[in-house]
Amino acid sequence: MKKTVAILAMVFMAAAVAFAAPAERYLHVRVDSGAKDQKVRINIPLSLAAQVIPAIDSGQLKNGKIQLGNFQANGVNVRKILTALKNAPDGEFVSVQEPGQDVRVAKKNGILIVRVRQTKGERQNVDITVPWSVAEALTTNTTENQLNVEAAIQALEQAGNMTLVTVTGEHQNVRIWIDSSSTAQ
Amino acid sequence: MALLAKIGFGLLGTAVAGAGILLSQGFVHVQVVQKQENGTHLHLVLPALAVPIALQLVPRHDLAQAAAQVRPWLPAIDKAASVLGNSPDGPLVTVTEPGERVSVAKSGGSLFVDVNDPREHVYVSVPLATLQSAANVLASRAEPD
Repeated sequence: MKKTVAILAMVFMAAAVAFAAPAERYLHVRVDSGAKDQKVRINIPLSLAAQVIPAIDSGQLKNGKIQLGNFQANGVNVRKILTALKNAPDGEFVSVQEPGQDVRVAKKNGILIVRVRQTKGERQNVDITVPWSVAEALTTNTTENQLNVEAAIQALEQAGNMTLVTVTGEHQNVRIWIDSSSTAQ
Repeated sequence: MALLAKIGFGLLGTAVAGAGILLSQGFVHVQVVQKQENGTHLHLVLPALAVPIALQLVPRHDLAQAAAQVRPWLPAIDKAASVLGNSPDGPLVTVTEPGERVSVAKSGGSLFVDVNDPREHVYVSVPLATLQSAANVLASRAEPD
């Protein structure tokens, strides 16, 4: 009898775990601008972003894809780097060092890591940590100068809790991350 | 006498049912307080069901501009209202700076927008279902006759 009860309890627990609604996951943005005492907090359910972004047909965003006229950052073609990194093994791939700026892009353990250290002018550190699946999703089914935001959001929904972007500057700090909390802690 | 009582109960029942239907979707709450001297103090509480009906009654040319602006966003508003309806309550956007605060939050099936700056305080709460139906009415009014 005890054995039957134990088995039944285990079956019920397994069923509860299997059928429990997955917790809502949120994309959080926190901006603190010290000099102006400005604070911005954004908490967007990922399911909301996943549903709404494909429904937007305005400006540069159409069918879940964003069209960028000049798909470059500081003269670096982001799409070409992502494409080149797709089949490359883990390690450091791009390292651009010039006076006042140090940029490193790497793929390690399934994570795309971008590190920018700016020491010239306004000092700023930028750290981007994105699951490789998300970075890959950004360029799937896209033409030149396009990013697939819808696919990236869907890939993000599968990712664990993590900090995606931190910007630490003299006047402003930015953090973008995902977790299951509805508020930006 | 019995006939009068029946008519009375009938009218009362109809009134109660009508009120129930009218209030079933909750309320839209709009508050605008201009902080300068003699500024506007507007405080409106409307049954949510009345909003799309009222929009239907506004002359088409008066709504044309708003309707044209909302049309491209209708699918997004539709999806957002429906997904938010099933999302947990919580703050969505908060922007604060000295003397100014803007917040957008979802709570209990409604969307709350609160803007407080040195000149005015605007507060709007609207049930998500009403947002959807009002956007639909606006979009339909954007179409030519």
